Amino acid sequence: MAHSATAPMEQYNYDIVKKFALITLFWGIAGMSAGVYIASELAWPFLNWDIAQITFGRLRPLHTSGVIFGFGGNALFATSFYVVQRTCQTRLWGGRLPDFIFYGWNAALLIAGVGYLMGITQGREYAEPEWYVDLMIVVVWVVYFLVYTMTLLKRNQPHIYVANWFFMSFILATALLHIFNNLAMPVSLFGAKSYSLFSGAQDAMTQWWYGHNAVGFFLTAAFLGMMYYFVPKQAGRPVYSYRLSIVHFWALSFMYMWVGTHHLHWTAIPDWTSSLAAAFSILLLMPSWGGMINGIMTLSGAWDKLRSDPIMMFLITSLSFYGMSTFEGPMMALKSVNALSHYTDWTVGHVHSGALGWVAMVSFGSLYHMIPKLWGTKMWSQKLIYIHFFFATIGILLYITALWVSGIGQGLMLRAFDQYGNLKYSFIETVVFMHGPLVARAVAGMFFVSGLLLMVYNIWKTIANAQEASDTTIASANA
Amino acid sequence: MAHEEKIIDPITGAETTGHVWDETIREFNNPLPRWWLWAFYGTIIFTVVYFIMYPSWPTNLVEGGYMKGLKTITYKADSGEEVTTHWNTRALLAKAMQTDELELRRQEMVKTVAATSIDEIAADSDKSQFVLAYGKGIFGDYCAACHQAGGQGVIGHYPNLIDDAWLWGGDAADIETTIRKGRKGNMPAHSSSLSKTEITQVANYVLSLSGEQVSSADAEAGKGVFNTKGCSGCHTPTGVGMKALGSANLTDKIWTQAKVPSATDAAAKVAAVSAIVSGGIQREMPAWESRLSDDEIKVLVRYIKLLAQ
Repeated sequence: MAHSATAPMEQYNYDIVKKFALITLFWGIAGMSAGVYIASELAWPFLNWDIAQITFGRLRPLHTSGVIFGFGGNALFATSFYVVQRTCQTRLWGGRLPDFIFYGWNAALLIAGVGYLMGITQGREYAEPEWYVDLMIVVVWVVYFLVYTMTLLKRNQPHIYVANWFFMSFILATALLHIFNNLAMPVSLFGAKSYSLFSGAQDAMTQWWYGHNAVGFFLTAAFLGMMYYFVPKQAGRPVYSYRLSIVHFWALSFMYMWVGTHHLHWTAIPDWTSSLAAAFSILLLMPSWGGMINGIMTLSGAWDKLRSDPIMMFLITSLSFYGMSTFEGPMMALKSVNALSHYTDWTVGHVHSGALGWVAMVSFGSLYHMIPKLWGTKMWSQKLIYIHFFFATIGILLYITALWVSGIGQGLMLRAFDQYGNLKYSFIETVVFMHGPLVARAVAGMFFVSGLLLMVYNIWKTIANAQEASDTTIASANA
Repeated sequence: MAHEEKIIDPITGAETTGHVWDETIREFNNPLPRWWLWAFYGTIIFTVVYFIMYPSWPTNLVEGGYMKGLKTITYKADSGEEVTTHWNTRALLAKAMQTDELELRRQEMVKTVAATSIDEIAADSDKSQFVLAYGKGIFGDYCAACHQAGGQGVIGHYPNLIDDAWLWGGDAADIETTIRKGRKGNMPAHSSSLSKTEITQVANYVLSLSGEQVSSADAEAGKGVFNTKGCSGCHTPTGVGMKALGSANLTDKIWTQAKVPSATDAAAKVAAVSAIVSGGIQREMPAWESRLSDDEIKVLVRYIKLLAQ
């Protein structure tokens, strides 16, 4: 093995990983709290307080951008930079460029977020930022691509580890999606408003090509990259199957691009686009499960860790939710199921079983593994990690269940007929029915955020202890 | 170099690929799980069948620019002739609307009910139940946001539809016009044309018209204001209002704007009426002609009449 003479602390650029790891926690709390607040507004509408800036429509993009690009994005920067350095055994390329990515990305998010509150938005789901923020993101992303690729090129390892394939496909696909979906003409050089280059059905299909591949490459491929490093590392076991990783990587990369239109079933799009997307969604099921199998089976020979190691519990539970939602997704992409599920909370529940169950849980597990290593210490409290795990799991289960009830219930009510063939319920009756589940959903969100607060406290104590220990070492060395 | 060394795992007996990363990460070269592979093949077969059955791939080799699929739908076109086409959502809907038993029955009931008078409907339990069931949905989706689910309205904002008072007339024809064309209610503000005293006086008089206990001196003075300063022009000298203008009848005990019913004492009642006299009223009910079908409007009128009975 090519051991390096220097300790990892000096060999690798850990400073940038630390920055991204900490800001991940900030965006996690900001984005998820915004989520809990808007969930509460749906359950108890008086919480709008008649203040335009905090109504659902303004806060919702703050929540989604905050968790996807703030929490998720920064977690991916942190872990991809950690993983690429350690699996290539080389320091991150680009000198201060990673810092530029850090400040550029987070400034873009902040500008976009403040804009949402003021009502500035493109009105494209998950692509709300207006043209000037989009341009900032393009610059940051090109630099990210450069830093990542150059680091890969100067690796001290003959092979590129599978985690890096996934990160690479995420970086390339995100560039493609972001640029094409956001093609727009600003009304003026100094105005926020712009108009999309697309219109009508093409506009909708471009938007959902982007929207679903944001799920596919940002929230899936990249987090699989995270999983491929942290699961075998934490388990201390080899990855289950190299062959499976090749097959499911290429199948996933090839098939995701086709399925976006399943978000537009039964609308004014051509029928052939709709069935093409539905069929490819079914094709995606097994490639998705390939990742889950490869992660979970990596534990074979170390199953006991599921009882004893709370970080492992986070990682393996995240894979289980990944498997669950990648089964649910193709089912919902079938037109007949979609006729029931579309426009209901079932969709929202599905997204959150992926976002909380998979994305957030795998990030928590990875951060718990990585942060003590970055600061050269151990987590302050294992017990708190356990408690966080249970808060998070209870929160997710309650969340998904509540929205299954709300979504499937509303879907059934909207299609119910009386004995004369009239629609049985008016819309408002379905809303009245949803109140209970919406309350449960808000409470579920509170569970999840409380867990995150425990994590932040635990990490804060961990870092404080590490700081104290290093101060003592320096003091005794000086004595 | 150690990183090309293949290792046999003591626990599972599987062999690694020989690659090592970050000191400890290795990979087994396990074959693809059989059940996974067969399930994958299964989804591929499903997809191919799906592509053959339904419209799927875009191609210029086929007229129209895409593969039409083998599945067909036969339905009646607007012209009345039978059409057989490849599976598509528009034909699917047309066929369901033409063949679904419940839907056919519903369409027939709508036609029957729309052509039946309200008295006949009220006397026929099947028809009236149909109107109540059908109307509940339309009323709930389009009307209840203002007039409330039971049609009781909100005093100060939206008229009550289930009492006997109708600002714009309560005949079926009047209600139909109201729904089709909408209504614009307009009472001018009198804060500049009347003094504070005059407003109080006329408020007392208006309350006295429906038998409220008020100061008789003020009411007497208010009568003069009412008849000379413009009120009687719309509300008529006797205060019963005019259907053509939508001006309220002030002699019944029904209040649609002034919050008299919730006022606890005489002073509060006077204040409630004074506020309306002083500020006037501007309100509008939107026109539904372009959003609801003729049949829907006709059934809705009957629904509202049944509600009010």
